[in-house]
Order: sequence, then structure tokens, then C-alpha cells
Amino acid sequence: MRKIRILLPVFFATIILWRVFSYDACASQSLPKRIVSLAPSMTEELYLLGAEDSLIANTTYCVTPPAAGAKEKIGDITRINLEKIVSLKPDLVLATSLTNSKAIQKLKNLGIEVMIFPAPKNYAYLCDQFLGLGKAVGKEAQAKAIIAESKERVVAIKAETVGLAKPKVFIEIGAKPLFTANKDYFINDFVELAGGVNIAQDAKVGTYSREEVLRKNADVIIIVMMGTAVEKEKEVWQKFKDLNAVRANRIYVIDSRKVCSPTPVTFVETLNEIVSLLHPELSRGKQ
Amino acid sequence: MLEIKDLTCGYDKRFHLDGINLAIKEGGFFGIIGPNGSGKTTLLRAITRVLKPEKGEILLDGKDIWRMDFKELARTIAVVSQNVSTDDLNVKEFVLLSRIPHYRGLQFLETKRDEEIADNAMILTDSIRFKDRSMSEISGGERQLVLIARALAQEPKFLLLDEPTSHLDITHQVRVLDLLKKLNRELSLTVIIVMHDLNLASEYCDRLALLSGGTIYKEGIPKDVLDYRTIEEVYKTVVVVEKNPVSLKPYILLISGEERQRRRKK
Amino acid sequence: MSKATIRWTAQILILIGMLLAIAALSLCLGSTTLSIRKAIDVIFIRPGATEYNILFQIRLPRIILGLAIGGALSLAGVILQGLFRNPLVEPYTMGISGGAALGVSLAIVLKLCRSMGLLTLPFAGFVGSGIVIMLIYFINIRRRALKIQGLLLTGVMISFISSSLIMLVMAVSRAEDLHGIVFWIMGSLEEPSWFLIKLMLFVSLAGLVLSYIFWKDLNALRLGEEEAAHLGINTERVKRMLFILASLLTGCAVSVGGIIGFVGLIVPHLVRMFIGSDHRILLVGSFLCGAGFLISCDTLARIIVAPSELPVGVITGILGGTFFIYALTRRGKQVA
Repeated sequence: MRKIRILLPVFFATIILWRVFSYDACASQSLPKRIVSLAPSMTEELYLLGAEDSLIANTTYCVTPPAAGAKEKIGDITRINLEKIVSLKPDLVLATSLTNSKAIQKLKNLGIEVMIFPAPKNYAYLCDQFLGLGKAVGKEAQAKAIIAESKERVVAIKAETVGLAKPKVFIEIGAKPLFTANKDYFINDFVELAGGVNIAQDAKVGTYSREEVLRKNADVIIIVMMGTAVEKEKEVWQKFKDLNAVRANRIYVIDSRKVCSPTPVTFVETLNEIVSLLHPELSRGKQ
Repeated sequence: MLEIKDLTCGYDKRFHLDGINLAIKEGGFFGIIGPNGSGKTTLLRAITRVLKPEKGEILLDGKDIWRMDFKELARTIAVVSQNVSTDDLNVKEFVLLSRIPHYRGLQFLETKRDEEIADNAMILTDSIRFKDRSMSEISGGERQLVLIARALAQEPKFLLLDEPTSHLDITHQVRVLDLLKKLNRELSLTVIIVMHDLNLASEYCDRLALLSGGTIYKEGIPKDVLDYRTIEEVYKTVVVVEKNPVSLKPYILLISGEERQRRRKK
Repeated sequence: MSKATIRWTAQILILIGMLLAIAALSLCLGSTTLSIRKAIDVIFIRPGATEYNILFQIRLPRIILGLAIGGALSLAGVILQGLFRNPLVEPYTMGISGGAALGVSLAIVLKLCRSMGLLTLPFAGFVGSGIVIMLIYFINIRRRALKIQGLLLTGVMISFISSSLIMLVMAVSRAEDLHGIVFWIMGSLEEPSWFLIKLMLFVSLAGLVLSYIFWKDLNALRLGEEEAAHLGINTERVKRMLFILASLLTGCAVSVGGIIGFVGLIVPHLVRMFIGSDHRILLVGSFLCGAGFLISCDTLARIIVAPSELPVGVITGILGGTFFIYALTRRGKQVA
């Protein structure tokens, strides 16, 4: 009996101490030190948060900022090399909805933590995601600060366009077939926040009819594509001489890279650019 | 014995058999003749269980062929068809295929017996010398011999042949038919042969069935069936029937249109 | 033991040997190459190390799946080519892959993805292929006889229709869903669920065993349906069973691996060219050869543009097609 009276407290003490120590160990491991990013937007955001030292590898498309281009590469956005990733022994992998879901599952099966960031539907989502990323890498404070600044600037830009006439905008993101963004797409937000109206916001699907663009008589056409297709499209639109956008010569091109992988910071820059395009009447001193 | 009772079957109105009654005794050398479209091949198809009869039945030694097990029928009747696709088979492989109806249960490889029977069949048909050649390399006459070898190796009681000599030169025509006659005599194989050539049918067959328009016009020994009036009725062409000077069997002579004109003028 | 038996046994042993060698090579090659000695060392001595993980969790499942799918597709190819006696028939000509792809596309777009977790898409693919199989079968069964040429035509037509429907689905889908569909269609041996891998392996091996029930029938069918009937084959029953067997093998393979073409077309021909057309050796020979072929293609797909990876269907197409043309011209023999 005496033995038990001694053993029992020792036993419990051991357990408590073990829990305490292991909790500590967990706590110190909660911040990922080896991050692999599977998308340029994630990479950029890590640099914004000042967490770039934890970034050990990224994709071949991650070239902004230039330092990111020098990191180890594990494939491109859609095709990643699992073996390479595993051999780098990461403790956190940042994926998007473009990443192969089977590969993500495989990584999880191997005990690697994966955070998936689906394409944000709008600006609010984007900020939430950014905050989520900030928390995950232990830079919550920086994240909040950057978001706050971004939001301020967005509000300011919005204010500039209050009371101004809203031009009817057609966003072209694909040529054959003609593809646009409805309100479920991120790009829609750019137009709305810049004081414009996306003529296709209520469209059910992405494929749009050119006739409809003519019928609604878009004032502005913004082509968000890359390469030679852009010039061809401009030519095609020029044929419709009665279209408002053609008469006023308001067919603009925006680099899709800027639009498709935004961070809260680049979002504001792009928004600025779009405001200048939609509202030339605001003679703005700044870019 | 193969009995066909009141058989009615066919594809459509053109190739239709109506009320066929036939009895072919074991050991016989039976010929089925008739003009194109008279139903010869349809009859053959009915006997080999490819075509289902609308009416009537076909009995093999008293058993309805449609109630027989597939393999059992194959062990009783072997067929030598006109068009057999053989792509890249060699002669030996081809002949061995005939042993399939004889495979027992889970048997996976040919037994010694299978090989012996196949070799024997090739020896009997004088085709053993090209047993390792590809089927696509041998001549038409040699091919016919191999087809017969294959049918032989099936160890059937009845051998059915569909126009086996139509595309052969006279050398091979005689060779093939002599062989069949020999098999008929020595192995008591019942031979049922669909023929185009009336003279060959007359020379070799013990009994003949003349088909016309889907029915049996006449049946009997060649002397009775191959009478000039009968032939002119069925084939709608003028012929003269003489006796083969050597075998004394009926011999049909065709008369060309020119000759007929000349005779009429006289 | 006849000469043929000895030859066949030797050929099977050689094929098995080649398969094992290919598997071993595949295990060692990748973006990090391991030598054989190191591989053995890692397997037996230090589980838990990164190299072990790479080997077993990433490469081995791919090898096993490659074996299962390569074997299944080749087997289906042999069976279909035997049934149709047409050298251009392969499992995908039958429209089954189209049905599976359509099932998967619909599942992705209608957001049915979460209902069965990882198994949703393969299940949707299987249902899709099943529907197509039944359609083809019932359209072509007339008076209890299965019209073989009709099967082929119907299959090809359904293939076209499925492709169009899939494009329709793609046109109305969101960008992310589109990616998912395209990925799946490109075909891949990357499968995280061990359950599916084991299931596919089971189906594949079971298919091989079952196909041997029909070796006599397939051999007889080489002469044509009517001739085969003369040899005592119950052609209607055999056609039905073989069609279902080949369809199931294909449906499962496509549901798990996506669209990996050419394997079912090329492998049977190659085996026929170099080994023979007797189905006793052709069935297992094609299975082993197909397994080795697919594993090799997958290995190449992994290493050729490392760190990126090509879809395995690209390699099977290019490699398979080229080698096939080369073999044809060298041999000068007629195909099937």
C-alpha cells in the first residue's frame, strides 16, 4: 500500500510534466520554418509579410520579387513534383485550387501540412485569406497592418469615384470562345470598386455573346489576356464602329498577371490603374 | 443418320426453305445441288445450327440438334466452309483448333493424342508436308486439303462441305474429291457436299438432292435426278445428258446459244 | 512438354523478369535517384527516413497502379481485338472512356465532390462508363444476338457525343472546375487512396484469371464467328461475357487513372508480333507487357522534364506509336 501512495503521485507528476514539456515543444513548432509555395500570389504575400526566410521553394512562375526567382523550384502551378517537395522536408505547403487535388491529398497522407487557398471571389475574401496566411506564419500583426492600409486606400479610391457616371464595362478574359467574368469572379470587384458596372455581372456562365456586348453598348472594354490574341481581339472590336467603346477609343489591355494573382498590395495598384482607365475625367496627379 | 423433317427457315423471302424433308443415311456420299439462290447454303446453315428453323426439326441419330450441347454437335458434324479467315495462323495451329470440342474441362494444353490425331489427319490429306507453313502462304488447292484435314481432326461422323472445289483447277478438284471418297469408304465418314458442278456431283455422289426455289425438286441416285427434262426445268437452260464413257454415270453437256440457233435453222 | 509449352514458359518468365526489372528501375529513378543498393538499404534498414517516404509513399503506389492499369487495359485490348477481329479496336474506341470522362466532369461541375470523399470521382467515372456500356449493349442486342459490328459503330458514336458533352460542361464551368476536369482527363497514375489502388489491382488480376476461362473461345473466334460456332463455341454467350469483361476492366481503369490511351491498342499487337496469337500466351503476355510498358512510360513521364512532370498519356502515345510503326516496318508482317 505504501508503494502505491508514492507511485501514484509520481505517476501523475510525470504525466503533467510530460504534457507541459510536450506542449512547449508543440508551441515552438507551431510556426512553420520550411514553407513551400505553390503559387506566385502566395510567394509574393510571404515576402510582404516578411516571412520570406521561411520560404524554401516555390514554382517556376514565382518571379516577383526577383529574390523569389532564385529559390528552389518544385514545378509550375499545375504540375508539381511531389518527390522534390517531400525531399525538401517542408512543414507547410501553400496550395491553391489550381493545384492537383490528388497531389494535395498525397502530401497530406505523408503527414505534411497543406493550406489550400482557393481563388478569392472578391476583395474581402482576399483580405481574409491574407490574414489567414499571416496567422499561419506568425505574422498576424504585419498582416493586419497591411490589410488596414490596403483597405484605407481602397476606400479612398472609391470615394474619388462617388457621384461620377458609371461606365458600362465589358471584361474580356478569353477570346475563342468569348469569355467574361460574372460577379462570382474576382475581377468583377475591380470594376465595381473602380466605379464602373460590369455588364456581365449577372451572367450565368462565362461564355458571352458578342452581340450582347453590342446590344448593351459597352462604354469600355478591358481585355485581360496575354500574347498575340490581344492584338487580334482589338482588331475584331474595331469592326463594330457603332459600339461606344470603339467610338470613344476605350479598349484597354491589362496584363493578366496583375489581375490574376493579386495580393492586398497589388490589388490596390491595379485598382488605381483601372480607375484611371474608367474615369479619365479625374485628372489624377498620381499614377 | 441425319433426318430433316418438314424444315422451314430462312432469312427473308429470297433465301427461304419450305417444307424440306430429307434423310441421309450413315456412310453415304450425299450431294446437294441446285441453281444459285435455291437455298443450298441456307440448308447447310440450318444443318450446322447457324439458322434457327421456323418450323420442323433436324435430328442427328434421333437427337434434335437444337437440344444438343454445342460441343457434342461439333464432335458429330464437322464443316468445311468456303471462306475461313486464318490471318497469321500456321497450318499445324489451324488443324489443332479442331480439337477444341474434344478438350476436357480444365484441359489447357493439347494432349499427345490431340497431336497424333491432327498429324494423322494431315497425313491422310497429304498436307503434312507444309504443316509449319503459314496459312497465307499455301496455294488454293493445298488450302482446301488443309481445311479438310482440320475437319477430319475433329473426328466427326458427318462431314459437311460447302462448294469445296469451286475455285480449284481440275487437278485439285479430282484430288479433293478422291480424298473425300476415300475417307467416306475407309473411315465410314458420311459426306454431305454442296456442289455447283453437276458433273462432279454425278461422278462422285451416291445420292443427290436437287433444290429449287427453297424446296427439294427431286431426290435420288444421280441417274434419276440428272435427267435432261428435270435439269432444264430447274436450271432453265437447254442441256443434253449423255453417259460418261468411263463411269457410265450421267454427264451433262451445255449447249451455247449460238449452237441452239444453228440447230433451229436446220 | 511440347515445344510450344517450353517456349511459352520461357516467354512468360522473360516477361516477368522484365517487369520486375522495370519496376525496380522505376523505384530508383526520379528527381532523386537512388542506386539499387541504397534502395535495399533504405527498405530494410531505415524506415521513416525521407528516402523511404519517397520510395514507398510516392513511387511504389504508382508502380502498383501502373501494373494494374497497364495490365487491365492490355487485357481488354486483347479481348476486344479477339471479339472484333479488327486491329484498330482498343478499349477507348468503345466509347467507355468517353462515358467515364463525362461522369467525372459532371461530378466536378455539379460539386458532388465531397459526397464520397476521395472515392467520388472514380465512382462517378465508373457510373458514367457503366451507363455507356449498357447503352451500347442494349442498342445492339437484336433477337438475343449481339451484333459485333454494331457495337463498334455505336461505341465510336458515343465517343464523339461524350466529347461534345464534355466540351459543353467545360464551357459552362468555372475556371477551377475546368482545371479539375482537364487534369483528370489527362490521365495520371498519381492516386492517394490505397484502397483504390488495391481495388484496381484486384479487378485487374481477377480479370486476368477470368479471361482464361475463354481462351478456347478466343482462339476459335480467330476463324470468324460462324467457324467458331462450328467448333462448338456458344458464340452468343461468349460474346456477351467477353464484352462485359472487357468493358468492366476498361471502366475501372479509366475511373481510377483517367484517360491513358494506346496501351490497349499497341500492346496486344506487339505481343502478337513477337510472341504469337495463341490466346493461352497472348492473354498473360499482354498483361505483363502492358504492365511493364505503362510503368516505363510513367517513369519517363516523371524524369524527362524534371522537376515538372508530363501526363503519362503523352508518353504512351508518342513512345507507343513510334515503336509500333518501327516494329511494323521491321517485321514487314501483316498486322492481325
